[in-house]
Amino acid sequence: MSPFELSEPQTLQDAVAMLDASDTGIRPIAGGTAVMLMMKTGIFQPDRLISLRGIESRYSEVSVDDAGDLHIGAMTPLRRLEKSEEAAQAAPVIRRALRRLSNVRVRNVATLGGHLAHGDPHLDLPPVLIALGARALIVGASGERVIEIEDLFRGYLETALAPDELIAEVVVPAQGTRRATYMKHTTRSADDWPALGIAVSLELNGDEVGSARVAIGAATDTPRRLKSVEAALAGKALADETMQAAGDAAAAEAEVHSDARGSAAYKRELIRVFTRRAVRQIMEMGTGGAV
Amino acid sequence: MAGGSTTTVGHSYPRMEGRAKVTGRAEYIYNMRLPSMLHAKVHRSPISHGRILSIDTSEASAMPGVHHVITGEDVKKVLPEPYYGPAFHDQPILALDKVRHFGEPVAVVLATDPHIAETAAQRIVVDYEELPAVFDEVEALTSDVIVHEELKPAGTFADLKHLAGKRDTNIALDYHLQHGDADKAFADAEHVFEHTFRTQQTMHTPFEPMVALADVRNDHATVYSSTQGPSFVRFELARLLGWPESNVRIKTAHLGGGFGAKVYVKVEALAMALSLIAHRPVRVALTMEEQFYTITKHPSTFRIQSAVDKDGKVIGRKCEVWWNGGAYADIGPRVTQKSGFTAAGPYDIDNVAIDSYALYTNRPPAGALRGFGIPQLVWAYESHTDIIARELGIDPIAFRKQNILRNGRPQAVGTIVKDGEFEAVLDGVAERMNWNRPFDKGSGTKLRGRGVGLGFKASISPTTSSAIVSVNADGSCIVYCSTVDMGQGSDTAMAQIASEVLDIPIEKIRVVNPDTDVTPYDMSTLGSRSTFHMGHAVRLAAGDARDKLHAMAEEVGMPEGSNAPLPELFIRKFGMRAGAIVGSANYIPEFSPPNYDTGQSTNATPFWMIGATGAEVEVDTETGQLTILRLVNVCDIGTPINPIVVETQISGAAVMQLGFTLTENMVIENGQLTNPSLADYKIPGFFDMPDTMENGYIDAVQENGPFGAKGAGESGTFGVSPAIANAIDDAVGVRISEMPITAEAVFRALREKQGKPLEEN
Repeated sequence: MSPFELSEPQTLQDAVAMLDASDTGIRPIAGGTAVMLMMKTGIFQPDRLISLRGIESRYSEVSVDDAGDLHIGAMTPLRRLEKSEEAAQAAPVIRRALRRLSNVRVRNVATLGGHLAHGDPHLDLPPVLIALGARALIVGASGERVIEIEDLFRGYLETALAPDELIAEVVVPAQGTRRATYMKHTTRSADDWPALGIAVSLELNGDEVGSARVAIGAATDTPRRLKSVEAALAGKALADETMQAAGDAAAAEAEVHSDARGSAAYKRELIRVFTRRAVRQIMEMGTGGAV
Repeated sequence: MAGGSTTTVGHSYPRMEGRAKVTGRAEYIYNMRLPSMLHAKVHRSPISHGRILSIDTSEASAMPGVHHVITGEDVKKVLPEPYYGPAFHDQPILALDKVRHFGEPVAVVLATDPHIAETAAQRIVVDYEELPAVFDEVEALTSDVIVHEELKPAGTFADLKHLAGKRDTNIALDYHLQHGDADKAFADAEHVFEHTFRTQQTMHTPFEPMVALADVRNDHATVYSSTQGPSFVRFELARLLGWPESNVRIKTAHLGGGFGAKVYVKVEALAMALSLIAHRPVRVALTMEEQFYTITKHPSTFRIQSAVDKDGKVIGRKCEVWWNGGAYADIGPRVTQKSGFTAAGPYDIDNVAIDSYALYTNRPPAGALRGFGIPQLVWAYESHTDIIARELGIDPIAFRKQNILRNGRPQAVGTIVKDGEFEAVLDGVAERMNWNRPFDKGSGTKLRGRGVGLGFKASISPTTSSAIVSVNADGSCIVYCSTVDMGQGSDTAMAQIASEVLDIPIEKIRVVNPDTDVTPYDMSTLGSRSTFHMGHAVRLAAGDARDKLHAMAEEVGMPEGSNAPLPELFIRKFGMRAGAIVGSANYIPEFSPPNYDTGQSTNATPFWMIGATGAEVEVDTETGQLTILRLVNVCDIGTPINPIVVETQISGAAVMQLGFTLTENMVIENGQLTNPSLADYKIPGFFDMPDTMENGYIDAVQENGPFGAKGAGESGTFGVSPAIANAIDDAVGVRISEMPITAEAVFRALREKQGKPLEEN
């Protein structure tokens, strides 16, 4: 690893000001779990890192507003999010997904903002947040903007963020009576990056699906919604055929590639199975409020 | 000597270094720095096979802070024959003329700042003429690609004296065993079975990577190394330098794991050569990633055939084993031979033919790794044995017991088995698994199965251990031996033995870290040989000191059997608290070398190590995903010196083999290793542990062992892989014949069985 300069701004505004869209040698660092790996292997050799650890503490907080929307500061460590009762109340699927995200050492330092801004498709929360309809507040030199999480990912390690923009906060809208689940599958060790992550959020009307949001991660180039699956679920009875159809639609829609975690053919089968299982799991959760 | 009541030996004393380790105070060579030392960073070959046309070091040399840029030709100027290796002198300190595997060291930058050294190493430009490469061990047997134009046997070890220099072949060693008449057995057989099994390339993953700091001054070299074999490193460096061994000093500390990665010369020769050239101390410290290019576990292919009579008795077995040794032989030829002769399994088979080949390929070198080839063999012969039992409709344990090797019978190598409790070990597993009770096979998409695997290993022989035991005038004691404690608890075991013999409390015993200027010769810490060999040497040395103490007591007029404290004895003899009583001993077991043509030996090993595993698994039939519900490991380790350390050795060995069975795999594509990091080379984590794991050993006595003990470091690895494959077959009726057993491999086999094979991509 080569030497580099480290800047430690005390405010988000200062941090943004230190970034330079024209200089790729200057990059922000939050928890550092991904950046350090890239630096160790020599893929990335920064001249200067802008550490975000010193910025205002409100960017590390989790809260619920009057409308019931969940606000998660971008610098919130994943472990704090996992422990947050506010988050567990607002969207229990977040805590459940976090428990199996990498390992506790990584969760202690990795932040939600870094997790999203890295743009690695093999991460767990992007599909979860897409299924929950979450959005990100982005701060840059030219001001603030809001972007849906589903619009954040543009390609492998590519996001809609400009080099001089930072994620400040993630907002998960109130889920009402929707229920969500996340299923992941690792093909090597248990704490490996997943070969597949499927997040499903359903609005149920009795034994019928009202609306569905389904997102996939890890198996595809970017985390994304699977709209054919959502269509296969919307308005359908919660029966075996519906789950089967959802699984088949997912396997058909998702564009997958072979890699070290499995062949494309195998991943298509995993998608079919886990989409079906995810829908079944929501059905089996019963009707007891938001989960 | 076994049995009887002991006060220290046989008790679960806590590890002597345990507190220092868990509080972060233990010393490791990796943390060591020497005044005015330079950091070395290696430039490695990006190709698998090629001629070096030129090396341009100008840009690297010009970088501020760079002291030297050194190539193989520079090494040759100070060491005219810069090749090393325990079996063949085939490995250059830095590549000369050719590179033979990706990741081979080609040049080195020395700088005061390791970051500068690393950056400069990347700026070395090497021009290669790329040559065709061979990666597969079976292809290497007949390939036109020749990895070494000439083979140069080292002639170092008694058991490898027969290695011959050969030209134009990739065969480093061929080992053949003939026991009875295998061809006739196959002609007479009622049933004949043939299967082929393969294993993948894996790595030891010691958490303290290989490291050596060398300080060569005038005519004296001191090397601090995280090595398992300080005596051998001294021997080899002295040979390279043409110096007496007394001018070369190797010092070690506790090792952060070894597992066979740190036997023989690894980075020590390079560090020594660099210090010789730079006239300053040099630190060569590999990264975790670089270890993948340094030493690995042999990939293997094993074709096994059995002849079985109408009663289910195995009457003949033919074994052909190809070992992928990579570009440099390291200790691969011994793996081929030592492991080769047990390739037919722990069974009493009258007619056995074994052909075992160590092959050069263009992969990183392969050497010893916890089990020394045995896990590759057991994977094949216990999978094969299970298939036969199932096809004959015989219970897998009953079939094994019908054919099992028993004490008093000759093993295929011609040695009569003594103190080898094969059946008791198998029974131990069956009992713990409640084998004869009904088993819940699961339902729906979650199906369950169970399986066993039984393996064994001969100890490396003949090898020597030496020890010195010094009793101080205050009654405390220091043990000097070159056994390296790399986490296996040998310091504690040696202290217990000295304590037992001398009747000195273990708290008053210190075991010195190996230092070749101080601690006497030991062959190496490998092959689970230390408890037996060094255990004997320490026992004898302590006995020698005890006899001298008795003589001294007599001399000063103490009555025989006096229980006067030791300090009083020293005061009576020397007039004050002064002096030391020193005992010493060499130990070498008896051995008969094998006949080259038949492989037969009347005494091939001082002891047999035996281990069995039982596995209960659950298979998710929709994904192929495997859950290990239960893993039972039972071994014959004789009588334990320290029971709790033995149990943790067995569990550690089993978990390590679990990783090799399920997840670990060095993936090579287009001549490149695609996953040389722990991010993508997956060792098991806590969540990969079996839901339940039991580790134990049977009541046994190794009659010729120290206090009835024998080695215990590897036996837990033997049965794990086939037990899991056999359990999968029991659960869902598919057979996996290639490691690692991935969920996708199981899923593909299931689809194949359903007549709906999954497309390739």
